[in-house]
Amino acid sequence: MTDKRFYQVLVPAVVLFSFLPFGLGSYHLHVVIVSLFYLMMASSWNLLAGYTGQVSFAHAAFAGIGAYASGILAVRFGLNPWIGVVVGTLMAALLGLAVGVLCLRMGGIYLSLTTLGFSEILRIIITNEYEVTRGTMGLQVPGLFAEYSKVGYFYVMLGAAVLTLIIIYRLIHSNIGLNFRAVQNDERAAASLGVDVVRVRVLAFTVSSALAGMAGGLYGHYLLLITPEIPSLDQQFLVLSMTVIGGMGSFPGPIIGAFSLEILSEYIRAYGEYHVLVFGLIALVAARFAPNGLMGLATGRLMRRRAPEKTVAAAAKS
Amino acid sequence: MALLEGHGLTRRFGGVTALDAVSFTVEEGTIVGLIGPNGAGKTTLFNLVAGALKPGAGRILFEGQDITGRPANELCRRGIARTFQVTRPFAAMTCLENVGVALVNGPAPQDRALWRQTAPRYLEMVGMGGLADTPAGSLNVIQKKRLEIARSLATRPKLLMLDEVLGGLNSQEILQAVDFIRKLRDEHRLTVFWIEHVMGAIMSAAEKVIVLDQGRHLMEGTPEEVVKDSRVIQAYLGE
Repeated sequence: MTDKRFYQVLVPAVVLFSFLPFGLGSYHLHVVIVSLFYLMMASSWNLLAGYTGQVSFAHAAFAGIGAYASGILAVRFGLNPWIGVVVGTLMAALLGLAVGVLCLRMGGIYLSLTTLGFSEILRIIITNEYEVTRGTMGLQVPGLFAEYSKVGYFYVMLGAAVLTLIIIYRLIHSNIGLNFRAVQNDERAAASLGVDVVRVRVLAFTVSSALAGMAGGLYGHYLLLITPEIPSLDQQFLVLSMTVIGGMGSFPGPIIGAFSLEILSEYIRAYGEYHVLVFGLIALVAARFAPNGLMGLATGRLMRRRAPEKTVAAAAKS
Repeated sequence: MALLEGHGLTRRFGGVTALDAVSFTVEEGTIVGLIGPNGAGKTTLFNLVAGALKPGAGRILFEGQDITGRPANELCRRGIARTFQVTRPFAAMTCLENVGVALVNGPAPQDRALWRQTAPRYLEMVGMGGLADTPAGSLNVIQKKRLEIARSLATRPKLLMLDEVLGGLNSQEILQAVDFIRKLRDEHRLTVFWIEHVMGAIMSAAEKVIVLDQGRHLMEGTPEEVVKDSRVIQAYLGE
């Protein structure tokens, strides 16, 4: 996709979205706001897992860091939530950098285990530091606006989602993105061509953590109540399912995954805990029949239709 | 002048000594062949020089500077490029992007607009101009080897290390490939360090041949000296 085409799709989509508050009721608008949160989470996790091949289980944890950093600063020191979100984003970036430098030399399964551990440690700290975090009771935080406005939150989340998507798009279509993919495809070959593999990984981890921190910070001030649910592993696996089902390693994949799963989860909410089972089944079916997710299905169709002529042309030229 | 020197290079894998105190020199502007039976330690030697492995003992000098144990990406920037015996293309990326990775990270990094202009030249050099947009994963083995050469050249190396690039070619194609590599050396003022099992090719192209056997430096000399040497014949044919 060229830059021009990206904006040709993005701009009309944003304009269309901007009209949503005029047509949707309060409940449906809530679903869209939550979907936008997951869009940011899934897209930024995809930057890490889909484009550099690092499967981190700490992505929800970094959203939690953004949310709690901003929330605690607002409650304890009366910091303006807008500034709080920026601080939360920076906190997530810094911690992401630290975790990155510590464990990214390992890569593969070790990275997954370390991030899983990090996520658990964070959960235990949050649950036990009751004085600061209010534990499982949840921390009541002020909103972004003096007067609560769902429509206002919608536009804030939409703006943040667009910002996230633009950052990710520009990154993966830059030379840095080329290095991301090279590292994912073959680390040794990448190193032999001059790529600093560890630096590339740390960079991806830091940017992705910062984006999760921003999403978490905004989400917390929308919910007005921050609980350990935000940095939970449940949340992490939901983000993972959205990315995998939508199409890991493709740009639109997590966007599609986030919206379809969030909307679906609203429909099957009535079945309580069973909705986890349903997600599990969908993920299994997707892994078996559409390993590249919904995006893979769509582009696969297109490719097959275009493929014959293209290979012939290439063969004739060579 | 020696561009590359190895002194007493040793590398063990568990109980197996893959390289045992091997010393050698590669003179600037020459084509040096590295031969030996299977398991002689040729690829291990390449891995040490290119920074993919660290030696257990010994020193490596490049342009007179100690580069022992430096990481692969730094060595690439200093001017050492290599191909892999078992090719390692970036399978999900196009051929153009494969070359692009080399161009944006090499000694003179290029920006996006520039590398997209320059990359096709390197594909054309190896006769793959028509495959720029083809995913590297769908190439055949010979094309993958050519792509690795294109990628290596795109790092604008001083030393090009080739690891069995002729496998799978017929005799006519081998002649062309040897011509091509000679031309590369002359036009780009390269030094070529070359592992090859196709003896005829090495014998006609190399100015010097180094023979390894069971991790040891067996002998070195001109191709004529090597083929006549009884130790070499014994190493290949047995007692």
